[in-house]
Amino acid sequence: MTDFYQTGIITTLHQLGKPSLERLESELYGFSKTRPIALVLPSLYSEFEGPAMPGIVQELAKVKYLNEIVLVLDKASEKEFQKVREFMSPISTEVKIVHNDGKRISEIYETFARNGFNVGERGKGRSVWLAYGYVLARGKSDVIALHDCDIVTYNRELLARLCYPVANPNLDYVFCKGYYSRISNKMNGRVTRLLVTPLIRSLLQLVGPHPFLAFLDSFRYPLAGEFCMTTDLARVNRIPWDWGLEVGSLAEVHRNYSPRRVCQVDIAANYDHKHQVLSAEDASKGLMKMTVDICKSIFRTLASEGVVFSDGLFKSLLVSYLRHAEDTIMKYEADAAINGLKFDRHEEAMAVEAFTRAIGMATQVFMENPLTTPLIPNWNRVTSAIPDIFEMLQLAVDSDNE
Amino acid sequence: MENFINLILDPLNALFFKFKVFMPNLLAMLVILTIGILLALIIKRILVKFLAAINFDSWSDRKGFTKLMRKGDLWSKPTAILGAIVFWMLIIITLMSGLNALQITAIDQLVNQFFSYIPRIFSAAMILIIGHLLSGFISRAVLITAANSGFHYAKLLAEAVHTLLIVLILAMIMEQLQIAPVIVLAAFSIIFGGIVIALAIAFGVGGIDAAKRIIEQEAISKREEVNDEIEPL
Repeated sequence: MTDFYQTGIITTLHQLGKPSLERLESELYGFSKTRPIALVLPSLYSEFEGPAMPGIVQELAKVKYLNEIVLVLDKASEKEFQKVREFMSPISTEVKIVHNDGKRISEIYETFARNGFNVGERGKGRSVWLAYGYVLARGKSDVIALHDCDIVTYNRELLARLCYPVANPNLDYVFCKGYYSRISNKMNGRVTRLLVTPLIRSLLQLVGPHPFLAFLDSFRYPLAGEFCMTTDLARVNRIPWDWGLEVGSLAEVHRNYSPRRVCQVDIAANYDHKHQVLSAEDASKGLMKMTVDICKSIFRTLASEGVVFSDGLFKSLLVSYLRHAEDTIMKYEADAAINGLKFDRHEEAMAVEAFTRAIGMATQVFMENPLTTPLIPNWNRVTSAIPDIFEMLQLAVDSDNE
Repeated sequence: MENFINLILDPLNALFFKFKVFMPNLLAMLVILTIGILLALIIKRILVKFLAAINFDSWSDRKGFTKLMRKGDLWSKPTAILGAIVFWMLIIITLMSGLNALQITAIDQLVNQFFSYIPRIFSAAMILIIGHLLSGFISRAVLITAANSGFHYAKLLAEAVHTLLIVLILAMIMEQLQIAPVIVLAAFSIIFGGIVIALAIAFGVGGIDAAKRIIEQEAISKREEVNDEIEPL
């Protein structure tokens, strides 16, 4: 059980006591009559062979309030696509699978390309964006919830708590992000603990109070891949297709909506998923790649809001970040000690060194090209250029699922 | 004996003679087919490159032709499909020309029928293209006008107009291609006539009260006018 302290400028919905899942689900069932809910699942075929997906399907089979489930399947052959359809059959809610490698969806991507839309490379960002498009094309849902498919500690309470703030018409939230602790016998979630939070606080120290930094600093787990939003927001939000997806999405939410309509919710007592390797020596993969993409996304957002970056500021940022990160390690060491968790201080320090190098790389890339990775255009722009794209996307997915 | 040998040799000679006459025709056909196929391939390639250069795919995406193709479960690029259509049309024309070179009466008639049918195919294609553009334009205009007039079912009305126009266009195409023209005409008359009668009945029955009110108001106002004329006297 957590405290009830409200962090920052957004609303925090804590897990206080032991709220009844049955009550939550029954209320959600009622809300779904006026605000139908779609669940988007970005997945790889390999996740169906791992331990997470069977558990997720088993839990989703018990959920009654969902209007539709859109699963975007990546890296799967035609045969594997059919296997996944079979795999999802125990779920009573209507399930539509977007086969990213299928002939029809490939032609949809081709349509974007020839009309001048850069929808980025294969990955979670692009899959999620296409799934939003499909939900908007069907026009049958008002709320979109999204979570990853590699959660080994999945429980349907996670989904219920994630959907509740946006689905409840009395609460008036347009965006809700999940948060949770990431512990096993040690503390996980290095990128959030040792990179994002110290980096944001260093930037606040150097740039001074800034609405976007205050917004970002309000999130307990800004990199959580679980969020819920209204379909209106999904229509206007642009999202990055790289690892900057989470931070970039928050930047767009901040740009388009008041923080008063944004909240975060405690969705799980514990959470575990596939762990990324640090890859300290190779910045093109693992956590290093993730770090570079996240930093680029933050720099770009701040620059677009008028913050002027210079060589001097970036040099100070590296030093300031290092100091904040070192202080953070000490805080977490104490936190681990009191909770009886293992804490490898050397490993944490090595991670901070790697992150410092990655921030240096990101600053270099940003100075060379401040526009860096472009965002995937929002659906309003796409439909204005290709008026029939929704119908074509719907035809493609529905034909694949026949 | 000599007669008997002649009896055997004459048909063989006749056959050989026919074969000698037929051989150049066969060769001509093979040459026409080879050149035709090569030309079809070259024209297809040039056409696809030209269409790609003028961004035909993108234009089709915006104008709704790609959507029509997708509805027919065709998932290739519009340029590729148009290229394939032109290629196979050229192959059919080549085949017909090749068969014509054989100079066989039955085939000649078939070839003549085919060539006289080509203008119909072209006009049907033109009806389809213009009809599709026009139906889209008209249904959009209906949607905007109805929505601006505050009509609740503007989208439904626009879709109904679009569907009716598509039915009309399809009937025109079928008639042009001479595919069961009598049945098409009858079916079209029944469907359109049915819709008009249904609308007439709906408006007639639904508008009895309104019509009665209007007539009564008209009569009252006329009576008042008469009274007005009398009063000054």
